[in-house]
Amino acid sequence: MSFVDTSVATISPRARRRRILRRRFLRRPLAVVGFIVALAFVLAAILAPVIAPYSAGATDFNALLAHSSRHHLLGTDELGRDVFSRILWGARASIEAGVLATLLAMAVAVPIGIVAGYYRGWVDAVIARVTDVLLAFPFLIVAVGLAAILGPSLTNATIALGIGAAPALIRIARGEALALREEDYVRAAVANGASDLRILARHVLPNMLSTLIVQATVAIPTAIIGEAVLSFLGLGVQPPTPSWGVMLSDAQSYLSQAPRLAVYPGIAIFLCSLSFNLLGDGLRDVLDPRTTR
Amino acid sequence: MGGFLLRKAGAALVVVFLSSVVVFIGVRALPGDPALALGAENRDPAVLAAVRHAYGLDQPLPVQYVKWASRALRGDLGLDARQLPVGHTIVTRIPITLELALLAVLIGVAIGILAGVVAAVRRGRLSDHTATTSSLVGLSVPHFWLGLMMIIVFAVDLHWLPASGYVSFRQHPLSNLEHLLMPALVLGTGLSAVLMRQTRSAMLNSLTADYVRTARAKGLSERSVIAKHALRNSLITVTTVVGLQLGALISGAVITEQIFVIPGFGRLTLEAVNERDYTLLQGVVLVAATGYVVVNLLVDVVYSLLNPRIRVSGATNQ
Repeated sequence: MSFVDTSVATISPRARRRRILRRRFLRRPLAVVGFIVALAFVLAAILAPVIAPYSAGATDFNALLAHSSRHHLLGTDELGRDVFSRILWGARASIEAGVLATLLAMAVAVPIGIVAGYYRGWVDAVIARVTDVLLAFPFLIVAVGLAAILGPSLTNATIALGIGAAPALIRIARGEALALREEDYVRAAVANGASDLRILARHVLPNMLSTLIVQATVAIPTAIIGEAVLSFLGLGVQPPTPSWGVMLSDAQSYLSQAPRLAVYPGIAIFLCSLSFNLLGDGLRDVLDPRTTR
Repeated sequence: MGGFLLRKAGAALVVVFLSSVVVFIGVRALPGDPALALGAENRDPAVLAAVRHAYGLDQPLPVQYVKWASRALRGDLGLDARQLPVGHTIVTRIPITLELALLAVLIGVAIGILAGVVAAVRRGRLSDHTATTSSLVGLSVPHFWLGLMMIIVFAVDLHWLPASGYVSFRQHPLSNLEHLLMPALVLGTGLSAVLMRQTRSAMLNSLTADYVRTARAKGLSERSVIAKHALRNSLITVTTVVGLQLGALISGAVITEQIFVIPGFGRLTLEAVNERDYTLLQGVVLVAATGYVVVNLLVDVVYSLLNPRIRVSGATNQ
């Protein structure tokens, strides 16, 4: 190791790669828009207590089912609650469920998938059957079962969404591990006598990271829509806590009187999941050139 | 091919068995003592013991499982909270959902494959961008919300279609279709977005394959190259996707039936949860899981019929 003056223009290969990736990403306007909108939704979720004009449960009985006005940007619902504020507050449940369910699925699926793909043999066969069993239970059926056993809540809905997303991720991680174990650097590490754990952690996992990041970004919108579905059915967030699904469920009784109550939360769900999908597509093009369409 | 299908059928049996164990254990993990409920909340220990004995609840779990599973195999899924046979209830609800699912798959396949083929053939042009963008929108839009919007536009405002309810085909064929049109569209467009993407990328792969170049070289019309060579090979991938989407279709049916008040299998699932009817829930989940596995087995059969490579390699393996 020699001392390098970092002020000189020599930059590490890693930093150079990062710069290339950043430039490639910025050249995709849709991906950039997706990133900005997704970030805005995350910020709205975090900052809801600061930026929402009203608290989520604040009722204004002088303005029931009011149209949009200076006081209520998107009008009010049947209890005189400010729709705009409730959409901001509702972002919390959606982002929380979307991100946590994806993290849960990753934490479960990636180690299992890597072990299956790297060791193959009977371990792989057993894991394949278990994945099939998981796949045989549609996520809504899992959620319904969990709600019956543990009671309906955002946490249980998130767990169900995580379990639902896991099988696909297991298959992807397995496929990656299967391909990576044939790489020269893995063989070299084996020849050097590196332990399995070291190979998996130092060589296999880092090299599938970009694929996993892309998959995570695409899994988030699925979980966001899933949370809305479950809350709509009464299996997720429980009223009066605001959630886009709960708002749509409430709006169902006022479809002819105040259809706008059903429009706004749906647009929020749509924009939020579209932004993550755009971001995911962009990241896929940038990080995973093999699958570039 | 026989070997391939036999292996698949074996794997399917294992999955059905494991799923039934999961369902069995899941229901036993539910809160509350079943003996208490069965014995009309009588807390006398002697009565509880008698109830446990009468329903076999005092036997070890594996024994209980074997008894339960062998009854389920004969179609006896027990009695629900209203003392109605669960098997019969499910059998009466399934045709409604099947009709809805069938219409949805038809719509989804028609839109998805057509758009996917057009997008791949006209890659990079306006029709490709339109199809790709619509499929991205289709993947991002919550379909149950689309259902609500359709109700607002076509039922509340325009009065073209009924907002909810169900009329059987035998009762009134036209009214049956009117009631199912919006639900099938909601369910089908979701499928078409996924199918479009898969068809497009499968078509792009096969359009650059050697056999397509050969087909062009021997002077076949572009139409026949696309339809007979490229599309046929792409359908192999697409069939698998349809099978894997069945889970999403079942989940979709639950919420679609809820919105449009259709008394099908999906709505039955929610009724079971809302009424805390665990025998019914157990039956519904078991049937859903088994149905998923059976349909995917059928997909494998179709797959092997479409793909000669599997037929041949399956035969040599035997």
